[in-house]
Amino acid sequence: MNEQQDRYHRSATADVGGTAERYGLSAGPTTVSGMELAVEAERLVKQYRSRTEIVDAVRGVDLRVGVGEVFGFLGPNGAGKSTTVRMLTTLLSITSGTARVAGVDVAADPDGARRLIGVALQEAGLDPRQTGRELLVLQARLFGSSVAHAQRRAEELLELVDLVEARDRRIKGYSGGMKRRLDLASALVHEPEVLFLDEPTTGLDPASRLTVWDELRRINARGTTIFLTTQYLEEADQLCDRLAIIDGGLIVREGTPQQLKAELRERRGLDTDPTLDEVFLDATGRTRERIAGEVQEVSA
Amino acid sequence: MSAIQQANVLGGRSLREAWRTPEALAPTLFIPVFFLIVNFGQAGKIFPSDSTGFLHGQTYAAFQLPISLLLAASFGSAALFLVEDIEGGYFDKLRAAPVSRSALVLGRLLAEFVKSASITTILVIVALPFGVSIASGPVGFVLLVLLTSLWAVVFSGFMQLIALKTRSAAATNSGGLVFFPLLFLTPNFVPRDMLTRPMEIAATLNPVTYVMEAMRWLVLQDLAWQPLARGFGVVAVLGVLMVALNVRVIRDYD
Repeated sequence: MNEQQDRYHRSATADVGGTAERYGLSAGPTTVSGMELAVEAERLVKQYRSRTEIVDAVRGVDLRVGVGEVFGFLGPNGAGKSTTVRMLTTLLSITSGTARVAGVDVAADPDGARRLIGVALQEAGLDPRQTGRELLVLQARLFGSSVAHAQRRAEELLELVDLVEARDRRIKGYSGGMKRRLDLASALVHEPEVLFLDEPTTGLDPASRLTVWDELRRINARGTTIFLTTQYLEEADQLCDRLAIIDGGLIVREGTPQQLKAELRERRGLDTDPTLDEVFLDATGRTRERIAGEVQEVSA
Repeated sequence: MSAIQQANVLGGRSLREAWRTPEALAPTLFIPVFFLIVNFGQAGKIFPSDSTGFLHGQTYAAFQLPISLLLAASFGSAALFLVEDIEGGYFDKLRAAPVSRSALVLGRLLAEFVKSASITTILVIVALPFGVSIASGPVGFVLLVLLTSLWAVVFSGFMQLIALKTRSAAATNSGGLVFFPLLFLTPNFVPRDMLTRPMEIAATLNPVTYVMEAMRWLVLQDLAWQPLARGFGVVAVLGVLMVALNVRVIRDYD
């Protein structure tokens, strides 16, 4: 049984995902509250006000992510994924509700939360005029490291993400995959308890995507909780212990990939397990036909 | 790490950024030198040093030097680099770190101060062959550099405010044009008492006038308390205002 199969096995045999079993909790939804939580959100709401209207980007999201989990947060474009991540990472104010990350209330003590989280957002947020090494040293210094410690940490991370040879080159000369890996490294300078990744492999070629997946597995194996948004369902299937699907600012499904597939199979009376794509389409009220209709294919 | 130390670290990064973008730095030197040469060339004979009282024995280039210094100090590219950071996502990376919000805006302003001090020194050296000397001596030179650099902080603070509010390079660039009317509503070609009445009123209401007059005093005359107090007073008040507004905007930044 390989690691992935083992993960599925654990997920399939525990009713609240592999997490409950991992934390030695008894089965049943109530046990979730007894689990040590890395991320907890209750009735999280984000409204944007313009002169003419109020837009509800997130409409009351509840989330519980256990320590050490890889949690996938899926949803179509504009569903509220990035908005939720930005609220959890202190980058966006919360209209109502509460969010705690690593036990710290992100609204009441944003700096406390920032010390415990690492963030790599949708666009690799890097300064193209700095070298890879300078960027990591600066980031470590901002998290309070001394110059010597920051330099040591930068070297460690450059080795971890395989950028040692490119460390003294300006970032503007890096490839997309190298930038992603450096972004990931910069989110790890302070050894965060929770790592937030917003679509970390979007735009990467398949080889670079696999490299990032390997990095994430390594980081998670060291005990870091990973909160990952992605549009690639295969990625979620490969990496995540549990998933939540958000649509229209609300969570519409939550569970292990295996649970979600089993639920759809049972509900539809299917002979075989559906794919995660089918779970996603079902959860978001989309159909292949509708999606095919939205994008007209032109054939010669 | 205190907010000041964080601002220092971020300021160092901004200086590296400026140094590595010579194409953005070059106009800051070239355009003020161009104005100095052109204005001196056009009006140097109209205002000969031996018969023009307000030149105090120096050439007309000395009278024009403060304008060039103010121009250079108002060419700061800090706000445009900030927009790049915002658009590229690096600003969010910095915001997600436990860095004092004040340090995020003060870092760039600190770098502008250092950059402006270097450029002012270079411009004064460039002006020397045109018969310019700093009449107030070494202390006056230091005060001249200090005043110009503080003005650079004020103006960069203003530009940074636009950048943070609009997050747009186009809007930030347009905001910079505000300075040009302010520069020309000053006694930039002759002293204030020689202006027409409406221009004199406009110049008197314009705070840039007092910064320019203080700088001019340092170039042409000995140290004097009153014009310097007015010049430094203007940059102190506007500086505190800009820093306070920047800090307020960054704290509410979503």
